[in-house]
Amino acid sequence: MTVEQQDCVALDQFPVGMRVLAVDDDQTCLRILESLLHRCQYHVTTTNQAQKALELLRENKNKFDLVISDVDMPDMDGFKLLELVGLEMDLPVIMLSAHSDPKYVMKGVTHGACDYLLKPVRIEELKNIWQHVVRKNRGSNNGDKKDGSGNEGVANSDQNNGRANRKRKDQYNEDEDEERDDNDDPSSQKKPRVVWTVELHKKFKFRLYLKRISGNQQAIMANSDLHFLQMSNGLDGFHHRPIPVGSGQFHGGAAAAGMRPFPPNNGILGRLNTPSGIGGVRNLSSPPSSGMFLQNPTDLGKFHHVSSLPLNHIDGGNILQGLPIPLEFDQLQTNNNKSIIAGNSMAFPSFPTSQQSSLPNNNNLLVLEGHPQASPSAFPGHQINKRLEHWSNAVSSSSSTLPPPGQNSNSLISHQFDASSSNYSIPFCDSTIPLNPALDHTNPRAFYRATDLDSNANVQPGVYYDSLQMRQSGNYGPTTDAMLSSNPKEGFTVGQQKLQSGFMGGEAGSLDDIVNSTMKQEQSQGDLSEGDLGYGGFSSLRTCI
Amino acid sequence: MELVQMQKSLQDYTKSLFLDGVLDSQFLQLQQLQDESNPDFVSQVVTLFFQDSDRILNDLSLSLDQQVVDFKKVDPHVHQLKGSSSSIGAQRVKNACVVFRSFCEQQNVEGCHRCLQQVKQEYYLVKNRLETLFKLEQQIVASGGMIPAMELGF
Repeated sequence: MTVEQQDCVALDQFPVGMRVLAVDDDQTCLRILESLLHRCQYHVTTTNQAQKALELLRENKNKFDLVISDVDMPDMDGFKLLELVGLEMDLPVIMLSAHSDPKYVMKGVTHGACDYLLKPVRIEELKNIWQHVVRKNRGSNNGDKKDGSGNEGVANSDQNNGRANRKRKDQYNEDEDEERDDNDDPSSQKKPRVVWTVELHKKFKFRLYLKRISGNQQAIMANSDLHFLQMSNGLDGFHHRPIPVGSGQFHGGAAAAGMRPFPPNNGILGRLNTPSGIGGVRNLSSPPSSGMFLQNPTDLGKFHHVSSLPLNHIDGGNILQGLPIPLEFDQLQTNNNKSIIAGNSMAFPSFPTSQQSSLPNNNNLLVLEGHPQASPSAFPGHQINKRLEHWSNAVSSSSSTLPPPGQNSNSLISHQFDASSSNYSIPFCDSTIPLNPALDHTNPRAFYRATDLDSNANVQPGVYYDSLQMRQSGNYGPTTDAMLSSNPKEGFTVGQQKLQSGFMGGEAGSLDDIVNSTMKQEQSQGDLSEGDLGYGGFSSLRTCI
Repeated sequence: MELVQMQKSLQDYTKSLFLDGVLDSQFLQLQQLQDESNPDFVSQVVTLFFQDSDRILNDLSLSLDQQVVDFKKVDPHVHQLKGSSSSIGAQRVKNACVVFRSFCEQQNVEGCHRCLQQVKQEYYLVKNRLETLFKLEQQIVASGGMIPAMELGF
């Protein structure tokens, strides 16, 4: 069969014809490997020099689907080759070695290898290596890597590389779709949430979470910030920006997580919006929120600055700029449960009370976000929280479940924002919950949990909400934790926390605490926590609640 | 000798190699990879193995004969020999390499010398057996017969 024919066959009958590049300085092993691969019906190219292998790969990136390389080679360390291939070509690489020492295997893993095979290689092991190609492509494809569609594309490409950002994005996208369905059905949402929350812990997962929460536009906004933050954290070490982190995460989480619900208020920045499915999010006021959302995961890098980011669309203030709000967040929460939560991460501060009313809780989405007014998102964390809340609210009640955010939320939000920074983390929580006056107390109301509040609405957000609820009680700080834990939605909360943390991550000192606390809970969750602003915020939220 | 007898001899001989532990199931895998499109696969691979191993053993001898033994050089050689011998199924050679490596880690020159001797011994043994095996196969093919598929009953 000619090569062309073979390629055609390959296309149709994958994994048959999968193109493998085998690298091993030992000619005996190389010859055997070649035969084994042929027997598996792959198309094989061999070379006994790592340099030559790189040349072949660089010459045409699309020439190969998979690389198998020995670890100990004289001209170049196999791990080095692994790194280069992963970075430059983003192809799956399988390591091969006679070393069964776990530390080598670990090294392979940390350098990005898809698999680590021990010599002598058996044909059974080679029969399934095509799965790595599929996995990698799936990740990328989700993000539209191949299509190059917007944001995702960016995210996707990195996915394989395991870059946090990218992955998040992909997740985000993926989650989005998944979440969407969930959002519609609050009760069902819970489920995914739970599972998801667990996953959230992982980097991506968090994003998804955010996505959900961000169902509301506002949330989106917040998310974006959070997400951005998170992403940025992951990506660029955004960390400095409290907000960005939080938002990034949040955003990412919410958005990615399928926060979808937040409809990017103003068409929030691309990414945010996507998750949106959030229709619920009703753009609260959208512009502000949009600013927030913008954070789109893709923008992760951009997010860092949340404030600096275009996200600020919102009023310019919304973007988490620095989350001054964090503290306010708490306040806001009570006030605005609804609005704040929305995702206005930043919006919080801005919004202050007035917003509340303006923010339709129904969105739950982070009413905060919605606040066009304000919420300059001082509090990215808030936004996120808000988002979550809103989101949940939105989800569940989507429009009405939450008690009119009215004063409560507004106040909350405003509070939070005012407080800004200090509570950073909390606002997040707070906002979500309290938004409604009723919400204030423990009511998970509207926000997030939608389930709580309105009812099913936010199963997912529930988690979030839980935290929020806690916040509502106005404790924002400690309570939230308690509340959070108590929440069945734990998972959610955790996720929330993440969000929060991401969200909050920012600036607020207090928020940080909160976030940290929440984050700790989630610690494991993954990227968020640690250091990411987002996480920080997240944890704060919990405490807030 | 009759073809059938030759084939029987080949089978018995091959079996004995497995029973003695000179070869392991990996060698069977190699045999299974041999087919019409790849008729001399096993002998080709084994020949490559012999070439690589001769070279490695030579380098090892030189390295260990140095005044000051550089274990950083010795170990990779042994490692490679371990990899290739395990790939073709030369079990005893591989096992000897494993022991050799542990002495390398301990930087025990005396121990390494002994190990080298052991490895060489096992290597020449498997080389000898495989060469005999191939000769038997060639005789059968020359007589117009087919190489019987290896039975895995033992």
